[in-house]
Amino acid sequence: MHRSIFLSTLVYALLLAGLITLRGELIALAIPFMLYLFFGFWNAPEALDLHITRSLSVDRTTPNSDVIINLTVTNRGADIEELFLDEKLSPRLTIRIGSPRHLLRLTRGSSFTFAYTVAGPRGTYAFNSIDVTAAESLGLIYREQSIVTSQKLFIFPEVKRLKYVSIRPRRTRVYAGTIPARTGGSGTEFFGVRDYQVGDSPRMINWRVSAHHPENLYSNEYQQERVADVGIVLDARVRANLFHADQSIFEHSVAATAALSDAFLSQGNRVGLLVYSAYLGWTIPGYGKIQRERIMQALTRAEVGVSSVFAGLEHLSPRMFPPESQIVLVSSLVHDDLNVLVQLRGRGYQVMVVSPDPVKFERGLLPPSSQVDLAARVVRMERDLLIRRLERAGIQVIEWDVSIPLDQAIGPILMRQRRLL
Amino acid sequence: MTVIALVSSIIISIGSLAWGYSETGFDTFARWILVVGMVWLFTQWQGWDWFSSLVLFFVVLISAFGLWFGFNPGWMFSGAIFALFAWDMTDFRRRVRSMAVDDDSRGMERRHIARVSVLSLAGLFLATITMLVRVQFTFEWGALLVLVAVLGLSQLVSWFRRQSK
Repeated sequence: MHRSIFLSTLVYALLLAGLITLRGELIALAIPFMLYLFFGFWNAPEALDLHITRSLSVDRTTPNSDVIINLTVTNRGADIEELFLDEKLSPRLTIRIGSPRHLLRLTRGSSFTFAYTVAGPRGTYAFNSIDVTAAESLGLIYREQSIVTSQKLFIFPEVKRLKYVSIRPRRTRVYAGTIPARTGGSGTEFFGVRDYQVGDSPRMINWRVSAHHPENLYSNEYQQERVADVGIVLDARVRANLFHADQSIFEHSVAATAALSDAFLSQGNRVGLLVYSAYLGWTIPGYGKIQRERIMQALTRAEVGVSSVFAGLEHLSPRMFPPESQIVLVSSLVHDDLNVLVQLRGRGYQVMVVSPDPVKFERGLLPPSSQVDLAARVVRMERDLLIRRLERAGIQVIEWDVSIPLDQAIGPILMRQRRLL
Repeated sequence: MTVIALVSSIIISIGSLAWGYSETGFDTFARWILVVGMVWLFTQWQGWDWFSSLVLFFVVLISAFGLWFGFNPGWMFSGAIFALFAWDMTDFRRRVRSMAVDDDSRGMERRHIARVSVLSLAGLFLATITMLVRVQFTFEWGALLVLVAVLGLSQLVSWFRRQSK
């Protein structure tokens, strides 16, 4: 019950009792309470006229990094005896220093500035409003207001820099880049020999071949290097990510996706992202820093989800990706993914799977025992078989032991593929 | 400071009522009032703020009964007013809990206690007038009134001094 209502009820009850019994003492007993109520009503706060400004030390950061939030409250209205400021924060954010809640006295025209430091995991955090409650000094009469101050904090996944990721899709785009285009032209890698054409530089003439054919000159041809279309698929299905005691390997998958998209975009490629969860979160392909920002924002929103419709990868439609482009699936893989991936490969896509190792991950969470060892061996064999079948279908699978940092674990492998292919 | 004011007001309120009842021979009832006081203190220690409203209602009820039966009105008024004081302090303590470390909690406590003390003093003053009209101004009541008046005045003077600074 509201305090003023409770007190008013007491006062009315005493007055009524005094009047019914004609006893002045009961009415006199009500007087201190009436005085208290009167004081409260007399000093009741007027309409609030507060101006609040907020500034964040950074609005884009990495997980568990400190973000300092500064707030300044200016009172443009009448004096406020008790002003309670309460900024509602996401429960996922941790307050490191200071407090988002303050109780203070704010006179007309004065300002109050406070700061607090938060940190949190990957995600998008909205600071939409601040709840303010003004009261007189007895706390009987309140005025509450929610002041809108929209601001967002993006905590992006940590991006490990991969120097180079070697891919070789069948089809590339027309712009110059770093991906071998399987066609002759200007480049750095030897591609073949063709007839000399007018305008060819004398340096391009292959004198050894020309010496064997005295009637003709032959020129060296180099492989063109262009940019490519890369579609990254982040597997966010619950069945592929959640393991023992609700521990999730998903954060590692997100980190890998961030690193890969950053590397592909740095190489000048056109990159799109599909988050395969309870829904399909599609970031349309694009180039450069703006696309990097879009992908990072999509990754901050990515959550593990469950859906009977998207339980398998069947809805990974080829229409989403340009024909014969590069598809990179970041997934710990489940058994029924094999057919879908093989079909994609059959359609001419170059498929790469970066797979955080779920067996090592889950085994690290379980207490050591002979049963766990046996189960791990069985699951490991099943997984090895699945990976072997994928590789036999021409799909490049890169396993990642998540206990080792991504750049150290798979960075050299991703670079080495360039020479092997 | 708030905690001291809260505990003191609970002790004075319950003590006044118990004294007023035992004075007229209701010793058993006075003991029960003391038990309620103990429970009240315990609940405040536990942070069960809602209990203060319940006790305030109880105290007002037994004060009203005491006045109805013609007990010493001074003790009854004192019991009710200090229960009101304690009820106010309970809520104020709840509000102060939400203050940040760097907030001016001491200043706010000082201002609040001064205001409520003045209000209590005014309440007691009115009760005294009632008592004078009924000519029941006992020595104990007078002593308590002087004590509270001195405390209240000192609070008031120090508050004004701080305001002038």
